[in-house]
Amino acid sequence: MKVIEKFKNFFKTLPDKFKAIPYKLAKKFAGAKEILVQGNGKVSASMIVMGLGQLLNKQWAKGIMLLFIQVAFIVYFVLTGATDLFGFFTLGTRAGNAWYGIEGDNSVVMLIMGILAILIIILYIAIYIANIKDAYRTQCALDTLKKPVSFKQEVGTLLDKNFHKTALALPVIGVCVFSILPIVFMILIAFTNYGDNIVPPALVDWVGLENFGKILSLGQFAPTFFKIFGWNMLWAVLSTAINYFAGLGLALLLNKKCVKGKAIWRAFPILAYAIPGFITLLGFKFMFSYGGPINYYIQQAGGEAVGFLGLDAKWSARFIGLIVNAWISIPSTMLLATGILSNANTDLYEAARVDGASAWKQFIKITLPYVLFATTPVLISQFIGNFNNFGIFYFLRGSLNVDGYFLASDTDLLINWLYNLSINNNYYSIGAAISLIIFIITSVISLAVYVLSPSYKQEETFR
Amino acid sequence: MKKTLPALIAHIAVILAVIIVMGTLGLIAAGVASEGSEKFTDEIERNVTLRILENDTAKEQGYLKELLDAFNAEYAEYGIKAVDANMDQFTDLETGGPYGYGPDVLYQANDAIMKYVDGTRKHILPLPVEQLDCYEHIGKNAWDAYKVTIENQDFICGVPVNIQQPLLFYRKDLLPANWETEWDDDKNGVPDMIEYWTDLYRYSQTIRAQSASNYGYMKSLNDGYFASGYFLSYGGYVFGGEERNDTSDVGFSKNDGYLGAKIIRQLASVMNLECTEDTITKNSYSRMAQGAYFATMTTPDVYTMFIKEMVNAGFTEEYARENLIMTDVPKLPVSGDLEDESQGFKDMTVMGGINGYAISSYTKAPNAALAFVNFATSYKMINRRAELLGISPARGDSAEALGGLNANINNNLTAGTIYVMPSVRALGQVWTPLQTYCAILADDSLTGKNVYVTDEALKKGLENVDNQIYAAIHTLG
Repeated sequence: MKVIEKFKNFFKTLPDKFKAIPYKLAKKFAGAKEILVQGNGKVSASMIVMGLGQLLNKQWAKGIMLLFIQVAFIVYFVLTGATDLFGFFTLGTRAGNAWYGIEGDNSVVMLIMGILAILIIILYIAIYIANIKDAYRTQCALDTLKKPVSFKQEVGTLLDKNFHKTALALPVIGVCVFSILPIVFMILIAFTNYGDNIVPPALVDWVGLENFGKILSLGQFAPTFFKIFGWNMLWAVLSTAINYFAGLGLALLLNKKCVKGKAIWRAFPILAYAIPGFITLLGFKFMFSYGGPINYYIQQAGGEAVGFLGLDAKWSARFIGLIVNAWISIPSTMLLATGILSNANTDLYEAARVDGASAWKQFIKITLPYVLFATTPVLISQFIGNFNNFGIFYFLRGSLNVDGYFLASDTDLLINWLYNLSINNNYYSIGAAISLIIFIITSVISLAVYVLSPSYKQEETFR
Repeated sequence: MKKTLPALIAHIAVILAVIIVMGTLGLIAAGVASEGSEKFTDEIERNVTLRILENDTAKEQGYLKELLDAFNAEYAEYGIKAVDANMDQFTDLETGGPYGYGPDVLYQANDAIMKYVDGTRKHILPLPVEQLDCYEHIGKNAWDAYKVTIENQDFICGVPVNIQQPLLFYRKDLLPANWETEWDDDKNGVPDMIEYWTDLYRYSQTIRAQSASNYGYMKSLNDGYFASGYFLSYGGYVFGGEERNDTSDVGFSKNDGYLGAKIIRQLASVMNLECTEDTITKNSYSRMAQGAYFATMTTPDVYTMFIKEMVNAGFTEEYARENLIMTDVPKLPVSGDLEDESQGFKDMTVMGGINGYAISSYTKAPNAALAFVNFATSYKMINRRAELLGISPARGDSAEALGGLNANINNNLTAGTIYVMPSVRALGQVWTPLQTYCAILADDSLTGKNVYVTDEALKKGLENVDNQIYAAIHTLG
């Protein structure tokens, strides 16, 4: 009920949050207006050429640095940036022919280089604005007869007051290049016809929302999508819950004083965790196959072989998937919970015992909130991991198409289907569209759960 | 605002001007078409290194080293050095080739090679095959596996080396003692169970009746590559058209293809449920060695695996080689019923492939690469390859010289009983629907569900397979 209440409040406050946007923007741009009205000639100089105002103010080092950035930006755009930016929109105009050594445009590379050019423009705009603000700050200092901040002082603040900027500069660049660029690339691929026969050297084109239209409108496609999505949600919730509570239970059990040889007991699940996942999965596939040991004993006992992962084994295969996933994932939760429980405040339990609280009550009121508080982000990552758990059904029950599903089986998750569509069938753009949908679903769920969780709202509770 | 705004606008205008002018110039420059040239000029490049991608068996058995040494010695005056590309045998040229990675010469199956020239792709070069020594000695069917038609012009993009076809593997020592009197009706000295599927089926029934743990013919029936032969034998086909690459016409269910489904159902009845999955394929080496299986079907390249397992099971290698026999697949009954021989027999058509050499479009030394291919497909090297690796040469003169099964396989290709895997990328979409259906048929037979008993049901099931394959290829295309 509390969760529902929280959701209601979240949506209730949404209109107010939207209404506040113009005010916040006006506040943000008040400074810009001031610079435009009050800025003197040197500020104007910095507006025309980056660093010029600073040079006129005899801030040589800073001025030269900004000027260098300006020159580098122009040189980049003269040499390649402008072509890259245009290439982002055209995705190439000249098809290559490797048979005759004719080098054509590579649409995919052009798309990446175009994104990079846009990122560089954004970075340039940010530096340009900082350059103007700096020139205006110097003007204000001189107007009030203060000494402007010297380059040495400014560098000094980067190692002291503004150290966070220094420390974060490289990671931010790394995130832009290695994280944002590929994500944006993947998102943009969803709006192109990349895939099937349209792969370089053939030229790729923008197709707008066509791929999303295909997913939702194709007769065979939409029912498969919704069927798989429904199972995927159920799988993610069930597997996360099983892994989490079983791991926690195991940790609590092995935390009991009465358990002898804890180190040995803890080693067993770690062994399961240490073995590569796909080896475990292939092992389980063999165990449950017709020729595997389980069926062998069933037959020895006079029974008939059971197709645990066979053609009609929808729910038994799903159940085996949950169990195998638990086998692989519970140890990590157990280790995590063991670590957290070792820091639990024993006074709380002592007080609860004095007050006559039962073991169950202690678990519900002390242990669970404490562990949940500490592990909500992990829980979310486990949920996302399970939602996108490719290996389980790929290894347990791959290469199977089931009636009523388009190029998928009834145990496939969206990620498996995505693989079938994009890698097996080379439909990269459709694959990107589906992964974009998966991305939206998982990020909305994760954000909502995290924002509404005590880990976010009551950060100080257990400090 | 008047004071600084013009400066801001001026800056933006200059930057925009730079971007627009340079971008437009870039577009104009891109519009100027550059001229290409023919790559094969008969002038062998000097002092170059050729990266050769070969299969793992060729490396393991030492053939690749022998080939490279011989070639390097032959072309020493040109300073050409052929080296092992040191890449996975299934390396996808498409992913690295355009960016300067990948081999110069590659040896792969025809379907793998020809996917590089499917659609708009041109990752391997069309070859002047008439210049090669092997040209006259390789049959048309083999060359056709490497033929691609672009804008009404035919190109050959690979050189056939090795013909792959499924063969029947059986244990000679497990034949009944009285086979010459009881199992050789035509008195041709060949056991009937090796010659005809009907007899192999009957013999499997006999073995099953005698022992609960022993089987006659055993094979994972869900393996589309091997199972497709049953459909192909009765007029079914993968893709239609003269070149067998018209993906708009998927035809497993065409003609009497459904009779193949009937055969699969019947064969399943002498096996167990393991035939619906890949357990039998995995276990066949050890189970054949133990004598639990009398026969199976697979490709000749795994012959040594069977021998190894028999040796592990306590037989001498000599005994193993004498008793583990590879032979052509049996003949199928014209009736499509393993219990009805009244209409006679027909040769079984099997899905096969042709491995060969191709040259990457991104090689810096196409003429040297062509010289390498010419050398590697010479009579001497192909014979050596066959000797070391046990392959069946595509060269007719080599096959004839080697005799035995090699000649048979070469003749099968000419006679059309080897259905060469269509050299189109869409072939990848065939396997999952096909193997699902074959597994359903086997399951239906063994579990007594009996959904696919009538011809209509078998036909409908197979039509569904065709539809699924068509949808996989064309729905999003």
